[in-house]
Amino acid sequence: MKIKNDYVLREIAGDHVLVPTGEAAAKYNGLFAVTEVGARIIELFSECETEEEIASKIFDEYDVDEETAKNDVHDFIESLKTQDILE
Amino acid sequence: MSSVEPILSQYFHNKGCRLGLPVAGNFELTPRCNFNCKMCYVHLSKEEADRRGRELTADEWLGFAEAARSKGLLFLLLTGGEPLIRPDFKYIYTELRKMGIMVSINTNASMIDDDYFEFFKKDPPMRFNISLYGTSDDTYESLCGNRSFEKVLNNIKRLKGAGMAVKLNVLFGPSNVDDMDGIRRISEETGIPIKPTTYLYPPIRVSCDETGGNKARFSAKEAAYYDFVCDKERFEHEMFVKRTAALCRGIKSEVSDEECDGVPSEGIACRAGRSSFWMTWDGKMMPCGMMVEPVTYPLRDGFDAAWKELRAKTEEILMPAECKNCSVRHACHVCAASTYAETGRFDGKPQYICDMVHERVRYYKDEYKRLEESGDLERYASEVKPNEN
Repeated sequence: MKIKNDYVLREIAGDHVLVPTGEAAAKYNGLFAVTEVGARIIELFSECETEEEIASKIFDEYDVDEETAKNDVHDFIESLKTQDILE
Repeated sequence: MSSVEPILSQYFHNKGCRLGLPVAGNFELTPRCNFNCKMCYVHLSKEEADRRGRELTADEWLGFAEAARSKGLLFLLLTGGEPLIRPDFKYIYTELRKMGIMVSINTNASMIDDDYFEFFKKDPPMRFNISLYGTSDDTYESLCGNRSFEKVLNNIKRLKGAGMAVKLNVLFGPSNVDDMDGIRRISEETGIPIKPTTYLYPPIRVSCDETGGNKARFSAKEAAYYDFVCDKERFEHEMFVKRTAALCRGIKSEVSDEECDGVPSEGIACRAGRSSFWMTWDGKMMPCGMMVEPVTYPLRDGFDAAWKELRAKTEEILMPAECKNCSVRHACHVCAASTYAETGRFDGKPQYICDMVHERVRYYKDEYKRLEESGDLERYASEVKPNEN
């Protein structure tokens, strides 16, 4: 998994945003606010193959139970798909 | 995940002011322009520009952008002069976008040819702020020395038609006041919002001899009258009634200039020098493009040190003491830039602005009486209550 090259993930004083550029900016003129965990999930795209692997990492790194980690990762990835942000 | 940019913008600015982060910047890429407007505060002849300094190179601009980005820069306005006049504009813009910076562009829209249009279609800016000077080639010639109205109007419609975000900035003065209705019609027909201004700053950046005057502006009383007329025409009636009620009941209008949000106070109240900075074409840093001081020097000292020094100097600015207890303070948009431009001091009382604001309030009070008699005040603004403090 990977976000489209048209999106730039920025961290500004502890807050995270996805900035659309190029074609993405032509479709949507604005910013997407992303939570800290959302930004971490996006980072994990480069080192994990599957949704399950990402959920496992989130379970390891955050104070969260396994079921919640799985659901949250799934929901976040679905919302990226809905917004057409994933490759 | 949400997509609420205006709220995010306000959030980041508030955070920037609190933490001293340069969330927003303005790059004045050039003092050059293909227009020669009577009221311009930047445009210099080539000889005068050469005498004062040199334009930064594209890579110098990008270096400062990267330094600012690492400190939080998210919103950047590219302005001039006419920024599209630079042959390397596309390179600068493309690299800024790759950094994940939300870029807006101030332009007169006369240089957007097919090539620029296709370029922007592929990666549109957050917004074009287009200066519209009138509704005929004759007005353009008299005000800007250039018969470009038809070309500008076509480009405005073309950008809007392609789905790009456009706002029209309109400065009204004696030379184009007769075009006011026509400009309103263009705004209505295209659905493009308009930001009218009848207050013109003295162009002290061109010459300090200009302090307190601007040969292209109205008298204070005329500026107040046309400001009132602009408000009445650009707002829906219900909103206008609410604004009238608010102003006459001592409440600051909720519709303010997004770049200049704030109220008169002892210190600087807007974002300038607190969460935003302005870099002049020759590489000086200032809180706002309308100012001539305080100035810091990022070329000499580096971006971080210049920004830190700018914030400290901005904090020292004190506004006129009289403004603090003024009876029409809530209706006044006086700022540090305008007090300096009008009087040569930050704490000088700007008589032109005082006269304009008092006159403007008088127009609103007359309107208030009319709205009271017609019943519209009761109908639309009964819930608009004065502040307790």
